[in-house]
Amino acid sequence: MSGEEEENAAELKIGEEFLKAKCLMNCEVALILEHKYEQLQQMSDDPMNQVSQVFEKSLQYVKRFSRYKNPDAVRQVREYQLAEFELCVLGNLCPETVEEAIAMVPSIKTKGRAHDDDAIERMLNDLSLIKKFE
Amino acid sequence: MFFEVELQRDVKINATNLDKPVSRRFILACLLDNLFKEKASEDHGYFLAVTRLKSIGKGNVMDESGNTVFTVVFTCRTFKPFPGEELQGVVRYISQHGVLLKCGPVSNAFLSAWKMSKYQYIPGKKPAFLNNELSKIEKGVVVCFLVLAVRWINASRDFEMLASVDADSLGPVSLPGSDELEL
Repeated sequence: MSGEEEENAAELKIGEEFLKAKCLMNCEVALILEHKYEQLQQMSDDPMNQVSQVFEKSLQYVKRFSRYKNPDAVRQVREYQLAEFELCVLGNLCPETVEEAIAMVPSIKTKGRAHDDDAIERMLNDLSLIKKFE
Repeated sequence: MFFEVELQRDVKINATNLDKPVSRRFILACLLDNLFKEKASEDHGYFLAVTRLKSIGKGNVMDESGNTVFTVVFTCRTFKPFPGEELQGVVRYISQHGVLLKCGPVSNAFLSAWKMSKYQYIPGKKPAFLNNELSKIEKGVVVCFLVLAVRWINASRDFEMLASVDADSLGPVSLPGSDELEL
């Protein structure tokens, strides 16, 4: 198993490097991978021959599991006061209730965080509205 | 999870390519080729796309043959799974012992029957796992799962995951679309 025994995304223990790194939602990755694929389509008759299996599988995955289609909608989602990792998990999985959100991202309810159930519910409602009207 | 991380790689240019000034384009082409072959690293995950070049260092001659190394710093989009993370995957194989899921570039996320305690194995032509609420896990179904553990396989430069659906909001989900790439 991974050498970092204390890694646990549920507690936001993902290492200093990844806490500082930019996390990306599936929809954001889809934008850049699709753009790259379109560039390859213009350059080659068979673009799938130009990409690695990693690229192909990742593109399939993010196209299927993107919840937001509009880049502007994605930018609005990013305005909430959460860690990048937490925000991206919520943006990818789109929980409908506060209980689901806490189950998916337990770290948003850890002691000392400012997010009570009402704040989480308001955020989920806003995320749902952004998705509906994007 | 997908990330944008800063990476540093040494790009080795053979002396045979040094008869004319080495261009940035040539160094970048070598870097991309190297990353393609490297595929993934245990520390940063699978390499998907280089997004920004930050710097190319001055070349350092390595040995008497004149081979030179350029240190390149760049940002790259990667995919790396973490224990404790919730992900979505697609069922690709079922047996009585459990289910194999594919999740992005990871082909093997094993969901053991022991970690589907509310589901019963139903053998047959189209085997499946079924629970009391008639929620079905069968080939092609999307499953939301918890990553219990991650393992790096150095030989194939891949990650494997151990999964679980024994918690709230986990299990099969209905999402539109198929797993095939729409061209």
